[in-house]
Amino acid sequence: MALFAASAQQEAVAAPIQHRFDPYEDNGGTILSIAGADFSVIAGDTRQSQGYNIQTRYARKVWQLTDKVVLATNGFAADGANFVKKVKQRLEWYENAHQKQMSIKSIARMIQTMLYAKRFFPYYVYNILGGIEEDGTGAVYSFDPVGSYEREACRAAGAAQSLIQPFLDNQIYFRNQTFPADQPKPIPGNLPLGTVLGLVIDSFTSATERHIEVGDGLEMYVVMAKGRAVDDLTSKGALPEGVVVEELGPLGEGGGERTFLVRRTLKRD
Amino acid sequence: MDTLVAQLAPSRRGDEGSSSTAEWANNGYGNLDASGAVAGMDVPGVPDPLAFLSMHTDSMSTNPQAKIKLAHGTTTLAFRFKGGIIVAVDSRATAGSYIASGTVKKVIEINPYLLGTMAGGAADCQYWETYLGMQCRLHELRNKERISVAAASKILSNLVYQYKGMGLSMGTMICGWDKTGPALFYVDSDGQRLKGDLFSVGSGSTFAYGVLDQGYKWDLSDEEAQELGRRSIVAAGHRDAYSGNTVNLFHVRENGWEFIKNYDLSELWYEYEEKKKADLAAASAAAAGGVPIDVE
Amino acid sequence: MAATGVAPNNIGFDFSNYARNEFLGARLGAQAKTTSTGTTIVGLKYGGGDSGDEEGICLGADTRATGGPIVADKNCEKIHYLTPHIRCCGAGTAADTEYVTNLISSNLELHSLSQGRQVRVVTAMTMLKQYLYRYQGHVGAYLVVGGVDSTGPQLFTVHAHGSTDKLPYVTMGSGSLAAMAVFESAYKEHLTKAEAIALVARAIRAGVFNDLGSGSNVDVSVITKAGTETLRNYETPNERGIKSRDYKFRRGTTAWLKENVRDLVVSEEVKVTMGAGKAQQGTTDRPVAVGAGPGGEEGMDLDA
Repeated sequence: MALFAASAQQEAVAAPIQHRFDPYEDNGGTILSIAGADFSVIAGDTRQSQGYNIQTRYARKVWQLTDKVVLATNGFAADGANFVKKVKQRLEWYENAHQKQMSIKSIARMIQTMLYAKRFFPYYVYNILGGIEEDGTGAVYSFDPVGSYEREACRAAGAAQSLIQPFLDNQIYFRNQTFPADQPKPIPGNLPLGTVLGLVIDSFTSATERHIEVGDGLEMYVVMAKGRAVDDLTSKGALPEGVVVEELGPLGEGGGERTFLVRRTLKRD
Repeated sequence: MDTLVAQLAPSRRGDEGSSSTAEWANNGYGNLDASGAVAGMDVPGVPDPLAFLSMHTDSMSTNPQAKIKLAHGTTTLAFRFKGGIIVAVDSRATAGSYIASGTVKKVIEINPYLLGTMAGGAADCQYWETYLGMQCRLHELRNKERISVAAASKILSNLVYQYKGMGLSMGTMICGWDKTGPALFYVDSDGQRLKGDLFSVGSGSTFAYGVLDQGYKWDLSDEEAQELGRRSIVAAGHRDAYSGNTVNLFHVRENGWEFIKNYDLSELWYEYEEKKKADLAAASAAAAGGVPIDVE
Repeated sequence: MAATGVAPNNIGFDFSNYARNEFLGARLGAQAKTTSTGTTIVGLKYGGGDSGDEEGICLGADTRATGGPIVADKNCEKIHYLTPHIRCCGAGTAADTEYVTNLISSNLELHSLSQGRQVRVVTAMTMLKQYLYRYQGHVGAYLVVGGVDSTGPQLFTVHAHGSTDKLPYVTMGSGSLAAMAVFESAYKEHLTKAEAIALVARAIRAGVFNDLGSGSNVDVSVITKAGTETLRNYETPNERGIKSRDYKFRRGTTAWLKENVRDLVVSEEVKVTMGAGKAQQGTTDRPVAVGAGPGGEEGMDLDA
């Protein structure tokens, strides 16, 4: 009898437990990139969160890859960091093999193949690549998590994507704006740097107001084409109060392109 | 050369991969060489990888709570006629109910003679059709002649058939001109491969077929055929919420494909409405004996 | 006597759609979302002893209301009125905290009228917990009830399922851990009123800055025997910044397909009269346009 009782007890303990492999997490935050005629701005906020908790108020989401290419990642921070590490490794191998840095076009294609290699176990990462094309124009490439990509004039991704992208559609692609008959619709991707930075800052301050996962700090990387004057960024009074500019030195031999890191704070609530 | 060809050539599933190429091969096209397509792809170590994938991804808006939303494309069409092949597509990509992009290139330029269209998973189509471009080039190098559209489409269908049941999602039309003239094949991720004169793929295809079928005949002029393709996509974009934004129009002729133009879909729609109104006015004017009547 | 079926109870909430909503939720992969006030609310007892201040209750709340990750209201009020000397901070489902406090406030007023004296805080707390228990947590109100009555300052928490606590300092909502960390490190008995307000504000700020569900401003209420002092937006540490660009659009930016201009103002001449329908000296009669209706062929006859 005792045996029976024991085995019955055993059974109760060994009730089926459901296991599921759940390796993903959403760390919030938002990234944004806008191309100009001869520059590119790649921006991201610095908050990293999990649920209602802030893991850190300063986590990098935007990464300088080469002297003219910057990558922004968003989604699951661990996947993002790991992915950027692997991209940088491949770029280093390329530079050692070819004695030059990889072009933005090639980096974009490489990112596609790297993401697609994990088609059946995806990186939970949305990537936006910004920088200067071989022909000296500003470029933005955006990716989905498994590697479909496209060159665009602007792109927002992440938590506040659906708040920012419609604003960008209106201000960058001039959607739902009619222009007078004597003034043709401007071609997207040709706005001056001051305007673009204003739009980026306003996008993030507004997203901070209405999205709980956006805030703390804003990092904007500005990549300037070779030979472009930079006084619209570095001269006194070019930028609003509280915005700090710092030039990042070349990573390689330097081809004349210049990268600047522009920072400001965002609300912390 | 032969080594390179050997490395890049697709091989049967189950062949053992050579470990020497594994390092660089592990991250891209290269991995497809030695051991059949699956080996290079990272698969989660769970009993049922497909269940894992469908739990965490939403490729066809069937799983809205999944974190990873994959962009997917929607109305595409292609048809054969005496002047070649017309390929017309929309440019909208949706992730759930969100319009992820309105500027997607859903016609993939495989090489100067071959076009592929994109419906289903955007990444699946982009990646495998680029890969198909590589295989077509290797065919040219090996055989000193261009690949037939039939053979090219079969490479793709064999390839996706290897992955059957693993969650790929693509519905594509391979269009080109070879020794047999204009050729059109439909290939999808189930492994289906069909030769035909007229196809439309995607959620807006029913709307496109409606216009396409009533206007299609073999003897269409180039202008008529291009207009038919354009009009069909506009109809689909107007009625299907998952299609729209712009129309991309291509024409395949004997000397390769030509990109005709990118049209704003809503601008076209209002043009057609204006034309409809004008035609109606003209018709009733004729009926009333030449006196114009305001139809407002 | 013929057996009659049990009459359906029509009082209170209707749960008949519960199963349907669950089913639809499973089918569509989404449930209807209620606005949740992911919140920080706190309360503490102060005064008495050698503080020199009379005993009282200090309550605090943030002002953010969220729907999922989106901020629905940047400056909502979470300290609700129950009676002149009882206040109630609400966390959980916004609609439930609003309605439950409103309802109990009414009932407390009736109770005080029927009993002819001020209601006690325990009464408010008991009415809340009994109401919430009846609905088994489906009414998602998580409350901090505080006030001063004939027995002195009283402070309670009430959970949505109906359980309550009586403590000298309490916190609730998604920011409760952040706020409690402040209380646990700095609370002591017999704080002065100024110290109490400062500590409550600090606890709310901890929630505002460290909990994503809480944000914007700090509301404070101080209750003593004399009554309640409401300090709405006591602190505003999250003022909205100014935009760096101006987003005024050129006139004519919005396209239109059809233009139709109509005068929306209908002008009518009205006859001035004094006695109903009687002609007045010095006025001229003009017929008033009146549509055909009951008694309205040529103008209504008021005396008829």
